[in-house]
Amino acid sequence: MASILDQDFPDEEEDDFNPAPEVASDDEELDEKPETVIIDDDAPTRNERSRSRPKDGDDELKDEDKDAIVGFGREEEGEPDADADGEDDERLAEEGAEGAEEEDEEEEEDDEDDDIEGQPSRKRRKKHRRNQFIDVEAEVDEDEDEEPEEDDELPGEEMHPDDLQELPPGADRDDRMHRELDRQRETRDQLDAEQEAARLKERYGRQSRIQGTGTAIVPQRLLLPTTDDPRIWRMRCKPGKEKEVIISLQARIHERASGREPLRIFSAFERSKGAGDPMAGMLYIEARRVDDVVAAVEGITGVFMSYKPLMIPLEEMPDLLKVTKDKQLAQGMYVRIKRGLYQSDLAQVDELEDNGADVVVRLVPRLDYGLNDDANGPMEAALPNGQKRKRPLTQRPPPRLFSEVEARKKHSKYLQKASGMGSHWTYQGKDYVDGFLLENYKINGLQTEDVNPTLEEVTRFATSGGEDGTENLDLAALAATLKTNSGNEFLPGDKVEVVRGEQKGVNGLSIEVYGDVVKIKVAPDHGDLSGNVISIPIRDLRKLFKEGDHVKVIGGSKYTDEVGMVVRTRDDRVTLLTDAEQKEITVFSKDLREATDSGGAAADSKYDLSDLVQMDASTVGIVVRVDRESLRVLDQSGENRILLPSNISNKIEKRRNAVATDRDGNEMKNDDTVKEVGGEQKTGRVLHLHRNFVFCQNRERSENSGVWVGRHSSVLVVNAKGGKPQSTGPDLTKMNPALKQNGGRAPSPMPPPQSKGRDRLIGKTVKIKTGPMKGFIGIVKDASGEEAKVELHAKNKIVPVKKDMLVLIDPKDGKVIQGGIQSLSMGRAPPPGGMAVPGRTPGYAGMGGRTPAYAAAGGRTPAYAAAGGGRTPAWKQDAGARTPGYGGGQTAYGGGGQTAYGGSTSYGGGTSYGGGGSVWGGGGGQSTWNPNNGGRTPAPSGSKTPAYHGGLEAPTPGGYASAPTPGGMDATTPGYAQSAPTPGQNYGKTPAYQTPGYAPETPGQWDADDGPKYD
Amino acid sequence: MFFLHELEETIPLHPSYFDKDMSVYISNELHRLVEGKNHGHFFTICVMDSFEVSEARVLPGTGMAEFTVHYRAIVWRPFRGEVCDGVVNNVLPSGFFVQVGPLLCFVSRSAIPSEIKFDGNATPPQFTDNADQVIESGTHIRIKLTGIRSEVQDMFAIATIKEDYLGPLMQ
Repeated sequence: MASILDQDFPDEEEDDFNPAPEVASDDEELDEKPETVIIDDDAPTRNERSRSRPKDGDDELKDEDKDAIVGFGREEEGEPDADADGEDDERLAEEGAEGAEEEDEEEEEDDEDDDIEGQPSRKRRKKHRRNQFIDVEAEVDEDEDEEPEEDDELPGEEMHPDDLQELPPGADRDDRMHRELDRQRETRDQLDAEQEAARLKERYGRQSRIQGTGTAIVPQRLLLPTTDDPRIWRMRCKPGKEKEVIISLQARIHERASGREPLRIFSAFERSKGAGDPMAGMLYIEARRVDDVVAAVEGITGVFMSYKPLMIPLEEMPDLLKVTKDKQLAQGMYVRIKRGLYQSDLAQVDELEDNGADVVVRLVPRLDYGLNDDANGPMEAALPNGQKRKRPLTQRPPPRLFSEVEARKKHSKYLQKASGMGSHWTYQGKDYVDGFLLENYKINGLQTEDVNPTLEEVTRFATSGGEDGTENLDLAALAATLKTNSGNEFLPGDKVEVVRGEQKGVNGLSIEVYGDVVKIKVAPDHGDLSGNVISIPIRDLRKLFKEGDHVKVIGGSKYTDEVGMVVRTRDDRVTLLTDAEQKEITVFSKDLREATDSGGAAADSKYDLSDLVQMDASTVGIVVRVDRESLRVLDQSGENRILLPSNISNKIEKRRNAVATDRDGNEMKNDDTVKEVGGEQKTGRVLHLHRNFVFCQNRERSENSGVWVGRHSSVLVVNAKGGKPQSTGPDLTKMNPALKQNGGRAPSPMPPPQSKGRDRLIGKTVKIKTGPMKGFIGIVKDASGEEAKVELHAKNKIVPVKKDMLVLIDPKDGKVIQGGIQSLSMGRAPPPGGMAVPGRTPGYAGMGGRTPAYAAAGGRTPAYAAAGGGRTPAWKQDAGARTPGYGGGQTAYGGGGQTAYGGSTSYGGGTSYGGGGSVWGGGGGQSTWNPNNGGRTPAPSGSKTPAYHGGLEAPTPGGYASAPTPGGMDATTPGYAQSAPTPGQNYGKTPAYQTPGYAPETPGQWDADDGPKYD
Repeated sequence: MFFLHELEETIPLHPSYFDKDMSVYISNELHRLVEGKNHGHFFTICVMDSFEVSEARVLPGTGMAEFTVHYRAIVWRPFRGEVCDGVVNNVLPSGFFVQVGPLLCFVSRSAIPSEIKFDGNATPPQFTDNADQVIESGTHIRIKLTGIRSEVQDMFAIATIKEDYLGPLMQ
C-alpha cells in the first residue's frame, strides 16, 4: 500500500485530465481497509468526481444507470480473460474502453454543485448503494474489481510515457500492464461478430424491455380471445336505457362485492349510438358462465329477461369492441336538436356533464309567453294515465331571445329571478341566461354531425367577445364545428408554416397537395433544410401571412370576398385592414389567400346598392353596402344598420316621377341637386323621394357611400335635373391657347335676353305645322319660352305645342303669315323681309350673335386671323356655345336692322347689302356657314364687301361684326350708332348687353313698319 | 425612394394648338398630365425635361393629334421597409392614417407601441402616451412602411411606428 501511495500520488496530480474514477469508486465499498489510500488517491480528482455526482433526481439515477450498464458490460468483457491474471487485465481493459465515456459524464455534470466536496467517500458509497439497486450484476462486477485494486497497477497504465520514465523503481511492472492490455485487445478482436451481437442484444434488449416499450411488440393476434377466456353474452333491454342498465349494474357490483354472492361478471357494455342504431337495446356482459350473466342482470329495470342470453361467437367478439371514433363534443360547439319544439334548431354546447351522456345546450327560446293560450279553454288536465294530452300541433313560436317584460305580461307567476349575476331567470321551470334557454339534453337527442350552421343562426349566439371588439363571434367555436380536414384549403403556391411535429417552425412554399399531405419546399433560411422538399400532413400546417400581404378572404366567415392588407397575425388568426372600408377584421389564416385582384365583394343579393327597402311598416332605408350575407342600410332617421336580407320585407321600386316640394315650395324630383339647409349643408343628388324624406347621394362623401337622408322641408333645390347646360365635347374656352394666353379668362357667356311683359303671341291664331296635330288651327291661350298653349278650334281642348311647330295665320282668311311666330315671340328677331329663305335668318342673325364673342376675344383672335378657313374652335362649337350670343345678336341686329332694313334704302337698294348679299347669299358664304353652324365665318368670303372693309377701318371685331349690317355702315343711323360703336369701343366688355334695351322695341317697330311685307 | 426615371407619355393635342408655339403647349400639357400622378407603382414628382417629341399622328374622326413624348422625371416609389415622414390626417380607434406626400398610409393599433394609447375623449381624438408623444390629426410623424398595395391609379400602404426612432417628430 505504501508503494501505491508513493507511486500514485504524483501521477494523479499531474494526470488530472485523465483520472481513474471508476477505480476509486469501485474499490471503495468492499475495501474498507484502504480507504484512506483511496481518499488520497482521489484527492486530486475530487473536484471532478464530486461534480459528477448529482445530488438528486432523475439525472442521478440515469447516471447510475449508465454506470450500471457500464459495469455490466465490463464484467462481460472481462470474462473471457478472467483466468490467469484476471483482475489486472480486466482493469486495464475497462479503463481503455471507458475512458471516453467517463470523461463525457464528467463534462456533463460539470456545472453541478460543489458543496459535497468535503465528503466524497460518503457520496461514493451512496452511489454504490444505488448501483446495487439498479443492476445486481454491476455488483458482481465490483466483486471482481476488488483484486485489481490490490494490484494497484492501474494508474501507471494511464500515465504518459515520459512520466513513466520518472517513475520510481517499483513501477517496472507497468510494462507488464501494457502487455496485458495488448493481449486483451487481441482477444477482444478475436471475439467473433456473432458473439458480439448476442452480447449486445442481451444487454440492450433486456434494457428496452425494462423501459416498458416491449408491449408494442406483442402481436395483435395473440391478444385475441381464446376458448379459455370469458365469453360475452348479449342481453336485450329497452332501447335507450342501455346506459342506465349499465350504471345500475355497476352499482349492484359494488353493492354485492363484499356480500355473500358477489357478481361474477367481468365487464358489461353497450354499443348503442341512439334510437335508430341497430345496436340499440343490446347489452353485452362478459362472464364465464351464462348463469352468472342472468344472476347479474336479474331484476334490473329495463332488461328483458324473456330474451335468452345469446353467446357471442368467439370470432365476433373482437368486432364488438372495435372503436369507431365519435365526434367529441366540446364547449362552444354547435349542435342541432333532433326532436321536440326545437327540432333542427341550432344550439350551442354550454356544458358537458361528466357522464358523457348529458349536455347542457344554449338555445334561442321559442316562447309565446302564454299569449296564444286559450284563456277560456279548459285547463289542460293530465290524462288519466298520467300522460299529458297531446296538444294539436300549432305553429311554433319564432325563436327570439327571452324577454322578461313579455313574460311578465301574462305569466309573471311563472317567472322568477334566479340568483347570480346578470340576467338569469327561471321561467316555467326552465333557466334563461342572457336571453338564452339553458336546456339539458341527452347526447342522443342532439345531432352533432353535419351541423352546418349558417351565419344567420350563428349570429344569434354571437356574444361580444374579442378584447378589441373586432369580432363578435366565437371564431374558435365556429371553427371547431366547421372543421374540415379536407386538403382543399391548401393550394400549390401557398406560403405555409409547420406548426406541429418535428419540423415545427419551418416555413416554405407548398408545391403539391395530395390527400392529407402537402409537399412543401422549405424556404431558404433554414440551414440544411433549405430548398428541400418535405411532406407534411395538413393538420400540422397553416398558411403563413406576413404583415403587409394583400389577401382575400376566401370563405368560412361573413367576410368572404373581402380584400385587405394584413396588419397583424397572431397564431392562426390574421387581422386585416379591408380595402373597401379601411376597417380591421379578424379571420383565420385558412380562410385567406394571397390576393391578386383588388375587387371587393361581388355579393349576390337580391338587393342592390341604393335600393330603397322597407324594413317595417314605418321604416324605410337605402342600401349603402351589399355584403355576401348582410346588407348595410341607412334608414330614414339617418341610422346605419346592418341587416340580413331576411329582415327586409320588400324593396320599394323607384318612382320615376315622384315629385316633392322643397323648403321653398319648389318642385323637387329625382336626380335634382339639392342642398341641405343648415346642418352640414350637404349637397347631393336626389336618389329617392319617400314620404317626407329625401335620400340623396354625394359621391364626394365617404360616409355611407355618400348617401344621406333629410326631410323635404330641410333641403333646397339647387339645380334641377338637366338645368345645367350639358356641355358636349371639350371646353373650348379653356382649350384655345389664344384665349388662355389672353389673361387666361374665358369670356363669360352672354345671358339670354330677358323677356318682359306679356307674350305677344297670346291671342293670335295659329296653325300647327308638324306633329300629330298637324293642320289644326287654334288660338294661343298662353305662351312662355318655347312653348305655347293652343286652344284648338276643332276640339275644345288646350294643347301645349312648341312654338316652332306653329305658324301664324291670318284669323280671317287663314293665310299663313311667314315668320309671324318669330316676330311675335319674345326676343326673337324677325327675319328681314327680303330674305325669305328662312334658313338664312338664323344664320344671319347668328352673325350678329357672334359679335360679342368676337369682341370678347379681344379683337382679332389669332385663331381667327390665322384661320384662313376661319375655323376657330369656338365657331366650330355649335348652338350651345352660340345660344347666348345668338340671342344678344338678334337684338343687336334688331337695333341696327331697324333702321337699316326699316329704311330699306341700303337693303332694298342692295348697294351695300346687295353686294353683301351676293357674297353672303351666294352659296359660298352661306352654305358653308349654315350647315356648319357658323363653322366658317363670313369674314373671309365677305372680305371684299364694303362692309368688311368698313369693319376693317375699325379693326375691332366689334366693328366687324356690326359691319355686315350694311345699313349701319352706310347710314349713320342712330341704330347703328348704338350698335356698332358699342362693341367696337369696348370690345373687352360685353357689348351686347347694352343692346337688348332695344329688343322690345325692335319687333314692335318691325311690326309697324314692315307689316306689309308679310303679305 | 426617389429615382430619375425615363418615361413616355402620349399627349393628344387639339388642332387649335397647331401653331408655332406647339412645342410649348406640348410641354405644358405633359407637365399637367403627369406631374403628381400615380402610375401604379410610383408617383411622378416632377418632369425634368422632355427630350423627344415624336411625329404627330392625327386621330381619325376628331382632328386631334397625338404626340408621343419621351421625358425624364423624378419619381417616388415607396418600398416596403422605407422610412418616411408624413402628416397624420385621421385618427381612429383602430389606428391612424398618415399622408406621406401623395401616399396614404395606415398605422394599425398593433403597429403602435403599447404605451401609446388611443384617447377618444380628447379633441381631436389622439393617440398618446400621456407624456410628450401625442399623435393627432396634423402631427408630423415618422413611419416605416410595412406593406404597399398598388392599384391602377392609386397606392395605399400600411406602416408601423413600433420601432426605434419612429413616431411623432418633436417640433
